[in-house]
Amino acid sequence: MERRHEYKTSLWVDWCPGCGNFGILTAVIKAFEELGLDPSKTVIVSGIGCSGKIAHFVNVNGVHALHGRAIPFAMGIKLANPNLTVIVHGGDGDLLGIGAGHFVALGRRNIDIVVVMHNNGVYGLTKGQASPTLPLGVKTKALARPNIQQAVNPVLLALSSGFTFVARGYAFNGVHLKELIKMAIKHRGAAFIDVLQPCITFNDVYTAEFYRKVVYELDEDPNWDPIVRKPDEAKEKLLKAIEKGLEWADRIPIGVFYVNEHVPTFEERLNKRAHRYPSTNPANSVIEVGGKPTLSQQEFEELFKEYIITVEK
Amino acid sequence: MVSLLMEIGIVLGGPQGAGLETSMHVLARALARRGYGVIADREYYSNITGRHSYIHMLISSIRLPRSVRYPVEILASMDAETVFVHFSDVAENGIIIYDGGQASKSVDDVPSMEGYTKDRVRGVLTKLGVEPTVRSVVSFLEKDRGVTPIEISFASEIRKVVNMFRIDPRQASRYVSGLIVSAVAIVLGLEDKFVRYGFEQQFRERRHLAEQNMALYEILRDSMANLRGIAKLSDPEIGLGKVMLVTGNDMVALAKIVGGLRYQSYYPITPAADESFTIEKYEYSELNGKAVGPVIVMQTEDEIAAMSSAIGAALAGARSATATSGPGFDLMVEGLSWAGANEVPVVITFYQRGGPSTGQPTRGSQSDLMSTVFASHGEFARVVISSGDHMEAFYDTIEAFNIAEKYQVPVIHLLDKFLANTIASVPTPSIEMLRIDRGATSPGGLSYKRFDLSSLVSPRAYLGSENTVMWYSGDEHDEYGHIVEDPEIRVKMYSKRIEKMRIILEETPTEIKMGIYGDRDADYIIIGWGSVKGVALDAVDILSKKLRLCYINIRLLWPFPQKELLDVVRSTPRDRIIAVEHSYGVNIASLIEVTTGIAIDKKVAKFTGRPITLNEMVEAIERIVYRNADRVVLNYGA
Repeated sequence: MERRHEYKTSLWVDWCPGCGNFGILTAVIKAFEELGLDPSKTVIVSGIGCSGKIAHFVNVNGVHALHGRAIPFAMGIKLANPNLTVIVHGGDGDLLGIGAGHFVALGRRNIDIVVVMHNNGVYGLTKGQASPTLPLGVKTKALARPNIQQAVNPVLLALSSGFTFVARGYAFNGVHLKELIKMAIKHRGAAFIDVLQPCITFNDVYTAEFYRKVVYELDEDPNWDPIVRKPDEAKEKLLKAIEKGLEWADRIPIGVFYVNEHVPTFEERLNKRAHRYPSTNPANSVIEVGGKPTLSQQEFEELFKEYIITVEK
Repeated sequence: MVSLLMEIGIVLGGPQGAGLETSMHVLARALARRGYGVIADREYYSNITGRHSYIHMLISSIRLPRSVRYPVEILASMDAETVFVHFSDVAENGIIIYDGGQASKSVDDVPSMEGYTKDRVRGVLTKLGVEPTVRSVVSFLEKDRGVTPIEISFASEIRKVVNMFRIDPRQASRYVSGLIVSAVAIVLGLEDKFVRYGFEQQFRERRHLAEQNMALYEILRDSMANLRGIAKLSDPEIGLGKVMLVTGNDMVALAKIVGGLRYQSYYPITPAADESFTIEKYEYSELNGKAVGPVIVMQTEDEIAAMSSAIGAALAGARSATATSGPGFDLMVEGLSWAGANEVPVVITFYQRGGPSTGQPTRGSQSDLMSTVFASHGEFARVVISSGDHMEAFYDTIEAFNIAEKYQVPVIHLLDKFLANTIASVPTPSIEMLRIDRGATSPGGLSYKRFDLSSLVSPRAYLGSENTVMWYSGDEHDEYGHIVEDPEIRVKMYSKRIEKMRIILEETPTEIKMGIYGDRDADYIIIGWGSVKGVALDAVDILSKKLRLCYINIRLLWPFPQKELLDVVRSTPRDRIIAVEHSYGVNIASLIEVTTGIAIDKKVAKFTGRPITLNEMVEAIERIVYRNADRVVLNYGA
């Protein structure tokens, strides 16, 4: 029998003991296993910070990119080789602070990429500064004074940016998170999962104990249906998702907020312009024959004839 | 003036948005069709409508021109401002074409002129004893300089066409560009069929405009019958059966497509964006059943994403590039250092404009040399190349990809606004002699190590290779790409990346490193790079009757070809080397001093944002040679 691929590398995982990232790592590995992803056709692109190291811990291709820039790195990889499964991992500071512009742009494009946000409310690796998801007035232990900036709502931002799959998971609800990751990977278009991730060292407010009390699953409501089944339902489903997305504090919903597969993906939009895309794409199209360009002199002059002037004798 | 000339300089001037660029294209096409050589520099404000712009052309019957010069034989003005700011550019016995409807306008009536410019123009005219009105300036030129004034009532001539074709009178201003073309063509004595060719090529998809403009030309031709051919070029003797009429932006775009570009990212910026537009036009085509492309042209949310996504595409195995200017490059620098750390072949096409900050967005400069060579934190191998003209830009674009992939380094192709926007007639490049070198590649495999230390350039597998997993990290990494802080691995990995520069210098052919023109035992050696080339070579030619000069066009700016340069200048007295650059600092001299120890004392600088013109260049060399000047700062041109 063929040996099953080991989706975890042998590296020592150097997160703090008890870190929410362990829950995310386990869920990712389980999801990959259950989907049977080909590691050579799968790429994790991560940003900078504690979460960024996940690219090294999973035994698929890993690109540990720049702070805030995991999404554009992933975009280049995915558009060049659309046959790859591309998953972005970043912290909330990475994706919604320094990289917020890219986050919004990915929604506008609806490229078939999954974004998993490790949302811990702090900049962990620089020792606990307030991040863009830490609410106004909250004072975590590393802060000298309460947070003076407001929080951004990741779910609402993703919805308004155009992500066509928007969900929230909790790092220590592994089975639930694994299922979300699988759904996001299978989704056609830009998918976002906001993962509530306790930072055991620097965030003494949004702790595992806190989340255990307030987190509930959207699916507990048997009538909850986030999927846009017909294009004309999009507005209604979006409004419901926004309403749920506004819930915070006493009760925090996890699960799928919104799914809309009626929006064309960027790959489909490109197909309208270059009709052999994505089957013929930047990564697999021929650019040279025997060390020479594919165009002959004659073809060059034919293709660019508008620039060429024949002198009239 | 009735004469037969081998070369004619022309300035076409008018407000931005009035169709000046159309005039340039129509005229250039008509002249190229006739077999003349054409070069045209475009000068314009950072503005869409109303500010003064002009086209500075040189046309030749004996060669493909490579620089522009003052004075010009023909000044064709759409408006009063052109007359005021360019009247002193007109040669003795030249020609000025102007609108009779604006003849009474004074400097004060021109709101688009900046106050400083108005004051300067008034000052000059006062000294000459000339009233600051179009009519007075024209009559001064006529009396004092022997200039032939050609007054045309734009409104009444265009009205004839408007009536003939029942055109909405509100559209009348659209015909000014055609009127300018017509007037110049008549003065040059171009045959009708060439004018027709120019209009028909320009308005390929709008035939009616070609017909209407041709009718306008015929009306003018009849009313200007006595002026036809008063500034005639001798019969062309260049001998090329066909030419390309292209900007530098076009040349780079075409070369990228030929060279196998598959991903181009950009954020809109002058003067780089036109290149991406052109590539997008050809993003995918089929030619005799053969696919060309696809090239994905991605307009990103900023230059950071442009650089990052270009790196991503390169990791997946696509030939990948981004195009930008100074402000955009600044944003790309963190990505540049990631590409250096991860040995990513990616090309940045960098069109310099005037800085610092927003600077002069639409003007040219060469002031970013040091930025491209030294920008970013840490040390790593990068390559910076520059091109001296349109043909070099074409070949260097392909060379940039070859170098990038062969050595797995980021390559910066450093160009500027002058080249980007200058339209020139050039020979068609030789496609058959091009080479595509993708460097050492690997099929990967289960034990693949992306950063294998057994060679300086580790064979590259692409993301997605079968049965292959690899890692990349901006952190220092081991052979697999995993983060490592062990000091010994650090030293090996860090050194491997930097030492690639040595083999790049060893393996790059001399002619790619620099072009040497003229006499190696010259009295004076002129050193420059990029768009200094054309004007320097023309100056060397002009001065060759009395001076033995050599021009060195440095093309590989980093790693710097110190050995090859020393071979040429080793025995040249230091006060006989002249560095030329469109900058304040003439920074190439500093780069030469840092790398070779040779301090260059003689410098020619221009940083007005306008290109060095031939007359200026000749004068600058003469001042250095005959009057022992050390530093000549040029400033001619509106």
